[in-house]
Amino acid sequence: MPEPDGDLNRKAVAQALASLGDTGHLSLVEVAADGVTAFRIHRDANGCPRGRSWSATWTDLAGERGWDADPDGIREAVLRAARVSPPTAEVILAAASPGGPRAEQALDWLRAAHPGAQVLRAGAPIAALVREVMVDDPLTRSYELVVMLADPGTDRLRLTSRRLFPIGARPGARTRVAVRCEPGGAYGTAFAVVTWQGPEPRLLSVQSAPIPPGRYEVTAELVRPGRVRFTGLPELSPDPRDWDRLVAALPDRLPGGTGPAHLVCAVEVCGTDDLVAERLSRARQVINRSAGELGGPLRVSLVAYAAHSYDGSAREFPVRAMTWQADAGEALDALGELEEQGAIARGYPYHPHAAQLEDMLALVVRRLDWDDPTPVVLLTVGGRSPHPPRTDLSGVLPCPHRHDWRRPLAALEQRPGTVLGAICDQAGDRAHPAWHRLGAAALAHLEAVDVHGLAADLGLVAPSPGHLPFPLLDETE
Amino acid sequence: MQPEPARGRPGHNISMWGAPGSGKTTLLAALFIALARRNDDWKIIGSDPASSDYLIEKTNALSRGKVFPEASMTLERYHWTLIGPAPRRSGFWGRKAKPGPPTRIGISMIDAPGGLFGTGRRPAGAPSGVAAAADGAGDPRRQELLDNLEQSRGIVFLFDPIREFTLGDAFDHMHAPLTRLAERMLAAGEFLDGKLPHHIAVCVTKFDDPRVLETAEKRRLLTTDIDDPHGVPRVTSEDAKELFRELCQVSASGNADMVLNALDQFFHADRIRFFATSSIGFYIDRRTKMFDWDDFQNMLPGEADEDSRIRGQLHPINVVEPMLWLGQRLAAIRPATEVS
Ligand SMILES: Nc1nc2c(ncn2[C@@H]2O[C@H](COP(=O)(O)OP(=O)(O)OP(=O)(O)O)[C@@H](O)[C@H]2O)c(=O)[nH]1
Ligand SMILES: [Mg+2]
Repeated sequence: MPEPDGDLNRKAVAQALASLGDTGHLSLVEVAADGVTAFRIHRDANGCPRGRSWSATWTDLAGERGWDADPDGIREAVLRAARVSPPTAEVILAAASPGGPRAEQALDWLRAAHPGAQVLRAGAPIAALVREVMVDDPLTRSYELVVMLADPGTDRLRLTSRRLFPIGARPGARTRVAVRCEPGGAYGTAFAVVTWQGPEPRLLSVQSAPIPPGRYEVTAELVRPGRVRFTGLPELSPDPRDWDRLVAALPDRLPGGTGPAHLVCAVEVCGTDDLVAERLSRARQVINRSAGELGGPLRVSLVAYAAHSYDGSAREFPVRAMTWQADAGEALDALGELEEQGAIARGYPYHPHAAQLEDMLALVVRRLDWDDPTPVVLLTVGGRSPHPPRTDLSGVLPCPHRHDWRRPLAALEQRPGTVLGAICDQAGDRAHPAWHRLGAAALAHLEAVDVHGLAADLGLVAPSPGHLPFPLLDETE
Repeated sequence: MQPEPARGRPGHNISMWGAPGSGKTTLLAALFIALARRNDDWKIIGSDPASSDYLIEKTNALSRGKVFPEASMTLERYHWTLIGPAPRRSGFWGRKAKPGPPTRIGISMIDAPGGLFGTGRRPAGAPSGVAAAADGAGDPRRQELLDNLEQSRGIVFLFDPIREFTLGDAFDHMHAPLTRLAERMLAAGEFLDGKLPHHIAVCVTKFDDPRVLETAEKRRLLTTDIDDPHGVPRVTSEDAKELFRELCQVSASGNADMVLNALDQFFHADRIRFFATSSIGFYIDRRTKMFDWDDFQNMLPGEADEDSRIRGQLHPINVVEPMLWLGQRLAAIRPATEVS
């Protein structure tokens, strides 16, 4: 027998499912000649519909005593079997035909208990229809592939995602993505799909396989909500790693040699003698390390800065470039001069908690050649906060030159191919916010510096041969 | 003439009240400089060698050494005379005015360690030094302080807004001595109309601090004297009460507004006056000689365990004014015995 109501029923269920939010439930209760089947559908954290069903025959419900012995008891049992969990449930009742008197009775009870429920008449069991509707449910989140992007100037790697399917996409949708795969480590290259809702992505699935390095035209196909198939690649299998483990494997720069670079070392030379000596020796280590390992030529500029004097009769030590774009040897000689000179105490009483950080930044911005594409690394070694440009509530006196550290710092942050690293002698939470920006690419504490790691993070030396856990987005098309 | 040592010290007794660190001693130390910076004829002289020495020593420490006084341990009494311009007696039919004798206001200042004004409990965070340990309710210095308060008719009450932001105990340091004073006045029959006979100058101290100045600016309470060569912002006495009220809003304990109520309860309305005071004043650049909104802080934080220092010259604000107001009001009630 044809099913005149089939399409209408499908539409009704699909619509109810489409309007199912992230927290509610959709309950479908089918009453048929042999008993009750309850379906409960909700959306998981990725917005995919998930359902369960329970069935009970009339005999199950009525028990030994038979249908007519205890009508109230049976009514209760039928309502329980419907498994509607209020209050966030939308209810659809489906009456299969032929039903019979018990089915009609049960339907009446259910209608009375759920007066807002839609009632459908179904010629066939609705389980298949529910399944089809769930598979065909349009996406309620966009699906994106996790990829890596290399910064053209610095080869620094960024993790990002590339849209595969928009909200509303249905099974069968396909998208092509061009990626480059590099050796991926033990699990190979991971094709991770995330869903986006709000500011944070959520991991939907990870499939991986060892993939020979090269460029791939990958086709992603939406099989059903929650499942994406990739073709154009060796066959992938499920990857057991969670997000934290995946990103833990992430290098921050493309494996391979580094090119020429300009290292600007700015060192704070006021404070105790020990502290100043320690800072200078760290700067020396980084210069030595980079000069030894950098693939291309290394130019080094050495800048020294101290504290502002707030006593008219005491001249201060002004910020100065000891060398600018010199070779490493010259810079190390200049560093030696600073080491001999020791801590600058000139200009007392100077401000005890601040130094000429803002003057140093202004000098670096002024002296850098803004047309030169050579990557620049600014390594600041110190700990005091900058002076504000004018009196504020911090209690730190304003810079006598009214420099505002934010301006040159923002200029450096936006300068292409410029990397900011810092060795700070204050603990992270005690350091002035400027230090977190000065150490955007790498912020080390003075007492515990992994010099090789720091130099690698700044692109001054090649990182230990690493793997790329995710595909690189190939934008060369 | 030798001042009589035992009793009848010329002039009026003025005592300073305020929580520890509210700036009492600094205010006294700045008084001489404040007078020297005024371009009227008021001057201050010590009425005995100890008081003169104090003026010289403290003034030098503050203006040359750029250091603040140490926390007080003992009750100090200083006897000074404020000597002002002679009131001009206008001549008949426009004939040349004849200057009369100069105005003299004798003041005896009492500077006590702030802890003595407290409730007797040691405030949290206070050093557990000798002074703090002796601050208990039975401390003999407490009795001495009360004796002095009873004899005085003028009070300079220092309200430290910075301390109030963090500790919020100004009320505690005012209420305890106030109730004890009222007790004694009642016993002496001087509390007849339900109010104390005293005048009180309420000084909101550390007006130079950016947080205080900002509050005044936000409430649009700042003015500049047209004839002030440095263009320093000030708050008039009329607006200082508003500033006080505003600063009370941010008190750490939320008790600061009770200070206002206590003032109303214990003092005649016309015997209360508010001042926005700074002993060190704002930083004034030596070259431009002008107040600069971008750079006005005159405090330099100390290194590690050192105390704060003073950055530039002192330009005290409303340091003389409360003394003169009290002196003049008290003199009007009971003219001071003249010293010669
Ligand atoms: N910004 C600012 N700070 C001040 C001023 N006067 C005092 N201070 C600060 O307040 C601290 C305490 O000042 P004191 O004059 O010793 O205070 P006190 O009320 O005599 O304190 P005790 O003797 O302990 O009761 C000083 O060390 C300064 O740090 C002022 O005019 N402006
Ligand atoms: Mg004192």
